[in-house]
Amino acid sequence: MSEPLLSVENLKTQFFTEDGTVRAVDGISFDVHEGEIVGLVGESGAGKSVATSSLLRLVESPGEIVGGEITFKGRTLFGLEEDASGELRPRDDMLSEEEMRREIRGREIAIIFQDPMESLNPVFTVGGQLREFIELNRDLSEKEAKREAIDMLREVGIPAPETRYDEYPHQFSGGMRQRVLIAMALACQPDLIIADEPTTALDVTVEGQILEMVKELQTKYDTSFIWVTHDMSVVAEICDRVNVMYLGEIIEHATVDDLFYDTKHPYTRALLDSMPRPDETVHELNPIEGVMPEAIDPPAGCRFHSRCPDAREVCREVHPEPRDLADEGEPTHRAACVKYDAFDVGYDESRPIEGDAAGGFGAGLTRTGGEE
Amino acid sequence: MSLLRYTLWRLAQAIPVLIGIVTITFFLANQIPGDPVEIMLGPTPAQEQVEAIRARYGLDRPIHVRYLTYLSGVATGDLGLSIYYDRPVLEMILLRLPVTLLLMLSAFAFAIVTAIPLGVLSAKRRNEPADHVSRIVSLIGVSTPSFWIGLVLIIVFAFHLGWFPARGLILPWADPADVRGAATRLEVIRQSAHHLFLPMISLGTLQMAQITRIERSSMVDSLQGEYVTLARAYGVPESTIVRKHAFQVAQLPVITIIGLGLSTALGGAVLTETVFEIQGMGRLIITAINNQDYELIMGTTLVFGFVYVIGVIITDVTYSYLDPRVTYGDD
Ligand SMILES: Nc1ncnc2c1ncn2[C@@H]1O[C@H](COP(=O)(O)OP(=O)(O)OP(=O)(O)O)[C@@H](O)[C@H]1O
Ligand code: SF4
Ligand SMILES: [Mg+2]
Repeated sequence: MSEPLLSVENLKTQFFTEDGTVRAVDGISFDVHEGEIVGLVGESGAGKSVATSSLLRLVESPGEIVGGEITFKGRTLFGLEEDASGELRPRDDMLSEEEMRREIRGREIAIIFQDPMESLNPVFTVGGQLREFIELNRDLSEKEAKREAIDMLREVGIPAPETRYDEYPHQFSGGMRQRVLIAMALACQPDLIIADEPTTALDVTVEGQILEMVKELQTKYDTSFIWVTHDMSVVAEICDRVNVMYLGEIIEHATVDDLFYDTKHPYTRALLDSMPRPDETVHELNPIEGVMPEAIDPPAGCRFHSRCPDAREVCREVHPEPRDLADEGEPTHRAACVKYDAFDVGYDESRPIEGDAAGGFGAGLTRTGGEE
Repeated sequence: MSLLRYTLWRLAQAIPVLIGIVTITFFLANQIPGDPVEIMLGPTPAQEQVEAIRARYGLDRPIHVRYLTYLSGVATGDLGLSIYYDRPVLEMILLRLPVTLLLMLSAFAFAIVTAIPLGVLSAKRRNEPADHVSRIVSLIGVSTPSFWIGLVLIIVFAFHLGWFPARGLILPWADPADVRGAATRLEVIRQSAHHLFLPMISLGTLQMAQITRIERSSMVDSLQGEYVTLARAYGVPESTIVRKHAFQVAQLPVITIIGLGLSTALGGAVLTETVFEIQGMGRLIITAINNQDYELIMGTTLVFGFVYVIGVIITDVTYSYLDPRVTYGDD
């Protein structure tokens, strides 16, 4: 396969709070190739947003990227090395803050945020905001940037873009604002767009329309996407490959087909089972039992063991790193779960965890089915 | 509705408010115990003299007639005669109002020009030394009475250091012939600024402190806005973000505080004029009250009410100009 557009190696981002160190992103690795839509899925608090803002080095104090390497088109967006005294310091080839701002943000990698209502500035016109970012990232004159902005508004399905250009964000509906944000990202012509749950705040119909539109435009402009979501049906709709995140780690990585039809990790399984399906009523939904533990003090061993239906004693002790479980010649399919032979840590001989945790997910199945 | 029509509409709305002010001041002023004619003529005046004076100032007619006469007078710009000065009230006001307006305007100019950069700096360097200094300064500013600041300024800068005059005010548009030691207009302006400096700071400090506090907290909020993160994510330079993206949103509460400040500054101006012996509206109103000069009390109060109402309208109109989300009513 060709060189990836973006590759992330063992990325770690932490927040140094009064209560302790929050290990929001704890050693994730993934890559994005040209023209691909790569999904990043996981429950709320899994670390998806922190991971994506780390890519642009937008994490703010008390947060900090503490380790790992981010390479984009051969340039080092982040990378550390040890100096003579063993202290970590930024590598010489790591881009400076100024280079990140001028050459990467917006120009090479653009981002679409979660909340379309808050992302636009209330006191500037929609067109003015679009134009400013286009001017800045494509070195166009004001007039050319305006033309570009209007074209792009039309492209994302905003009717009468010439008049809408001069209107303010509060005159747009949520769905329309999200289209504006998408137009913003596309108009800067970056190679990679990070979409952080851009449709979560919208109703299902609008979400469907926007996903449809993004797919079309993605083909047209051949832009790569990282698509962040907690919704497996969105993943099925739009992604080529998927990374599943749990408590700061990527615990499974596969193509969409493999993820759905050859699910490896019990957490992914649980996510898929909790997906609403047309042939089921609300009562038959299978939400994942329990809540995700705090990222401040993550459980030892496999981080999912407190909620995993397959958990055994060994899961409490061994911390599994993702391994490729695909057969020879098949596309990569990595998962971090010791129940697979590839890990060979004695899962089969280990005893199931007693008490609550063992009941975990299985108990949830019957309980949610029966009640209410 | 367009901004112009909105402004006109707000001005029209002010008319009933002003009529209300006239009515209330009229009846309140007439409730003050004592008799202005007595003050004027001494304790045992001749009966004919008293009646002549009463007739001259219209005090012999029943109160409701006087009220209606006064109201129609106000509508045509006639505010009656001042008993104490024996001149038309309007003439006295036109003489004194520019002095007070000059004082207030310079105080607000000083407050705004210092407070906004200070507040922005404070927000940008939140919890750093610069922020702590600015917060302590503004805390002292809001909790110190303006007349006290005035007295301290006089003692230090006028008496001890002799850098500035302690009293009086020279108007920049005064005739050079009337100003001692000034041959040219430029000289007059220089002397005027020299006189204005201490009263300006004395009156402006409270406003400066208040505006700094609001500017800081408002900027802190808007710098944390999602739209600021978006601008950063698109490579907008930090200086542009502070100057434009965060700043413009943050000015809305600041404008409200400046508008409210206009009314507190009117009260402050009365005290400042007293401390610095400036012949402005403040001293005029005090003279009027001390001498039970009905017409003058009503006239000056009316002007204060008027300035206040105009301040509110300017605030509202500026606000709706800056915030596109404000709608101008239904029709
Ligand atoms: N500024 C911060 N200070 C402290 N902790 C933070 C901060 N921002 C994020 N975190 C922590 O980092 C972890 C990951 O948060 P993140 O926002 O990335 O989750 P997410 O997967 O995007 O969730 P969601 O689906 O709700 O957007 C959480 O435990 C959160 O509490
Ligand atoms: S390692 Fe153990 S606890 Fe973790 S997912 Fe696999 S079976 Fe469950
Ligand atoms: Mg998020």
